[in-house]
Amino acid sequence: MRGVRRLLGGVAALFGRARVERELDDELRQFLDAATEAKLKEGLRPEDAERTARLQLGSPAAVKDHVRDAGWETVAEQFWRDVTYAWRGLWRSRAFLATTVCTLAIGLALVTIVFTVFDAYVLRPFAIRDPNSVYEIYWRSQEAAGHTFRWRDYQDITVRTDLFESAVVEDSRYLSSNGTTLAAAFVSGNYFEALGAPVVLGRGLAEYDASAPGTAPVAVLSDQVWARLFDRDPGVIGREIVLNDHRLVIVGVARAEFQGLDDYPQDLWVPVTMYGPVLGQNLFGTNQARELRVLVRLRRGVTATQAQTSLAIEPFETRIAGHVDPVRAELQIRGTRVPLTPDVVALMAPVFAAFALVLLAACANASNVMLARANSRHREIGIRLALGASRGRVVRQLLTEGFLVAALAGATGLGIAAIALRAGLTLFVNALPAAVSSLVRIVPLDFDRRVFLFSFFAVSATTLLFALLPALHATRLTLLDAIRGHAGSKIRSAALRSILVGGQVAISLALLIVAATLVRNGVAIANAELGFKPGSVLSVNVRGKSSLIPKAAAALAMDSRIEQVVVTSRNPLFGQLPKSPVREGTRVVPVSYLFVSPEYFSMLDIPIVHGRGFSPEEASEQSGAAIVSAAAAHALWPGEEPVGKTFRLDLEEPTGVADVLSRRLKDIDQNADAYVTVVGVAKDVVSGLVYEGMDRAQVYLPTTVEGQHARALLIRPRAGAGLQADALRPTLLQVHSDPLKFETIPLVEMVTVQTFPLRIASWIGSLLGAIALALSVSGLYGVLTFTLGQRAREIAIRMALGAAAPAVVRLVMRQSARLAGAGAAIGLLFAFTVMKLLSGVIRLDKVSVVDPGAFATGVALVAAAVAMASYGPARRSTRVDPALILKADG
Amino acid sequence: MPNEPTPTDLVQGTLHMLILKTLALEPMHGYGIGVRLEQISRGVFQVNGGSLFPALRRLERDGLIKGEWSATENNRRAKYYTLTPAGRATLKRETRDWEVQTAAIARILRASAGEV
Repeated sequence: MRGVRRLLGGVAALFGRARVERELDDELRQFLDAATEAKLKEGLRPEDAERTARLQLGSPAAVKDHVRDAGWETVAEQFWRDVTYAWRGLWRSRAFLATTVCTLAIGLALVTIVFTVFDAYVLRPFAIRDPNSVYEIYWRSQEAAGHTFRWRDYQDITVRTDLFESAVVEDSRYLSSNGTTLAAAFVSGNYFEALGAPVVLGRGLAEYDASAPGTAPVAVLSDQVWARLFDRDPGVIGREIVLNDHRLVIVGVARAEFQGLDDYPQDLWVPVTMYGPVLGQNLFGTNQARELRVLVRLRRGVTATQAQTSLAIEPFETRIAGHVDPVRAELQIRGTRVPLTPDVVALMAPVFAAFALVLLAACANASNVMLARANSRHREIGIRLALGASRGRVVRQLLTEGFLVAALAGATGLGIAAIALRAGLTLFVNALPAAVSSLVRIVPLDFDRRVFLFSFFAVSATTLLFALLPALHATRLTLLDAIRGHAGSKIRSAALRSILVGGQVAISLALLIVAATLVRNGVAIANAELGFKPGSVLSVNVRGKSSLIPKAAAALAMDSRIEQVVVTSRNPLFGQLPKSPVREGTRVVPVSYLFVSPEYFSMLDIPIVHGRGFSPEEASEQSGAAIVSAAAAHALWPGEEPVGKTFRLDLEEPTGVADVLSRRLKDIDQNADAYVTVVGVAKDVVSGLVYEGMDRAQVYLPTTVEGQHARALLIRPRAGAGLQADALRPTLLQVHSDPLKFETIPLVEMVTVQTFPLRIASWIGSLLGAIALALSVSGLYGVLTFTLGQRAREIAIRMALGAAAPAVVRLVMRQSARLAGAGAAIGLLFAFTVMKLLSGVIRLDKVSVVDPGAFATGVALVAAAVAMASYGPARRSTRVDPALILKADG
Repeated sequence: MPNEPTPTDLVQGTLHMLILKTLALEPMHGYGIGVRLEQISRGVFQVNGGSLFPALRRLERDGLIKGEWSATENNRRAKYYTLTPAGRATLKRETRDWEVQTAAIARILRASAGEV
């Protein structure tokens, strides 16, 4: 009750402050009058009476101050007064305000962006019941590892109710739906129930939806698809959605926060029993495809290690080894999109370090500017201390100023982060070729409570970091020194500034070197020799069943704009090719293989360096002819004549699914032997991943459009036809009514797609480096301007004694070079360490870890920046008239 | 604030109690309170404005006393403070507490070795 009264009194006092002040004045005057009157009555003279009365009351100002201190509202009031005072002061030095706020805002924005992305992928748990008990099962053998299983393996896992409360399967595919691409997850019937995945409308999938293959054509939509395709129609339940020609009845809509358990958000969920009808692949027969991810919920009290050791998986024959290889299970926590494993930490650590360094550089910069400002305010602070302000009060005032700057910076930083995230995503998607960008699914990157909290802590920490130091420093001086213009501990503050500037130089140099290395690596990879000429060749892949290949090939061959059509088992640059072990004597060489029609070599300009190409008669998968790459010939038969050699291949059973872009790399365990004889040797080319370079060992096998392995087409437009990928649409529509059934991409764009992550990394690296460099330039510039201002007398005396302006400039430049040199030395050391760490994460095949070019670029940039930052202030300091300065200070 | 009263708290708290006691006798203005305290304590307590007015402000804010402007005996305007019912209750409680405490302290100070 008393608290409430006190609060109300305080609020009333805050608002009726003028009246309260007036009343207090009256009351004090009355006290004086009464006291004087009493003294007069005692017989004192009027002057003495008044003096005694005044003594009794004390200084009215002090009494009023004490009275004000009596209520809580004074704290708020003082704070408000501090804020307005700080704002007035800051507004007077707008340049200072703009510099610090921008510097800190950029640093904070960068960290907020990283944290937002990190939070969305790594920290935020899936919106399911008890996400921390969900694990994904991986398998690992001596030579291979993977995370896909057969239906049979899943059945074996589900019976282990002693270990797992439940087990679900999931397999995500990109499928075509009336002109759009949808990411569909094929899941077991217990998926929604076992995970506790929330549904906003209708129901989740149930066991009876997945009781027998092909019986329940139903689907649950994601919130995003519900909004995008159905405009959030509340009557969507019972409507249909088409998926690869199959009509599925919508039975439910998942809540917005649930987007599946894969790395990217899913668009809809379909019973796993629809796998066969939709994808044309049998999961349940005798020869089961290994396509399914298995996720389990651990039983309470069972640890992952226990489950791992007691879970036996029927061994698969792993393809590369070519023999039965014991397989053991591994459990990995899957409560968030990206589990926080040591690998992820290793991958994220350098990224985080780079962003944190930029924030650190920003803080150092702001701190430096604050320090310089606090030093130049010695006189003001000295006078305030002399007028009776306590040291705590002055420190509080300076801290308020810091808080104000940090709050402004925080708000600006959040704004920048929000805009940059949106712009970054748009840029990211637009930089991808259209065919790929439609497949990109990005987790919603929203600012949530956590991001705000994080930013708030970052701001608070920054405030303390850069405001407290100058504040304490500035108040530790005597009035006399301050008024005379001497800073108390000049030497220490100079050292502090030097450390801050040196640190900034070190950070920016390190970041620049890393960025330059990444850029050079990316450029080198993008310009790497492919060994063949993609030219204007277009790649056409079929989504779903490949039975459309002959029809598509025929239709395209009829198109007058097209010169040549070639069929392959997988188009070049679409990921790693399947491999088969080849035994030659005691050696086992893993050889990747590719089925092509005979014109493949002429279309892509791949020279046959020895022997001959496939003859038209050999265009059959049963012909037994093979062309090996030069590397394969060398690996299998070094120094021998390869033509005429015969060897055995274990070939992958064609799965009939060729949506290559979306397919996970997996090893497949069905076998088909083939004995082939070498007829020719082709030049080495890159047919898999650009950054992996030329194929190590490669064998080409012949096929035709009718062939079992024929899954993709390459077409070469007629010269001058200027045929774009989109222009093929009418032709392909004759083959199938769904235009998205075919995925058409110019082959050259696949190089862009493959080098995309590298480009992103070098963009981000360059951006960070540039920001850090700009920060250190502005930091150095500020410090020099300030110190040269302080050294104006010294310079004036030097010049009065006859020093020439260039000599003074040289002196100053030499000093800043020394400062920057020390920083650069640390930076080089640091860059070297970072590169060593980074080389374990990013493949740096094309450039060495200590790339001389990158190091030279970094050093040159920093040196130029330092020279630029120091020349201006140095030059300016020599332009003033010595007489003026010396007179003014006399 | 910790439970242990610091010396300032003690003095301040005591001053509050003394002001309440003074006002329990009759309503009074600021100067009058100071004079009365000095008179009753025979000059031991000399209260200056710096402690008196903050104390009055606190008591008023806590609703223990109430100030009103009215005319003095020689026709001047002054702010007269009166005790509110809450103030009366507080004074009663604090007086009792004070007596208990001082009695206890006195016993401790008088204690000789044999009594312990």
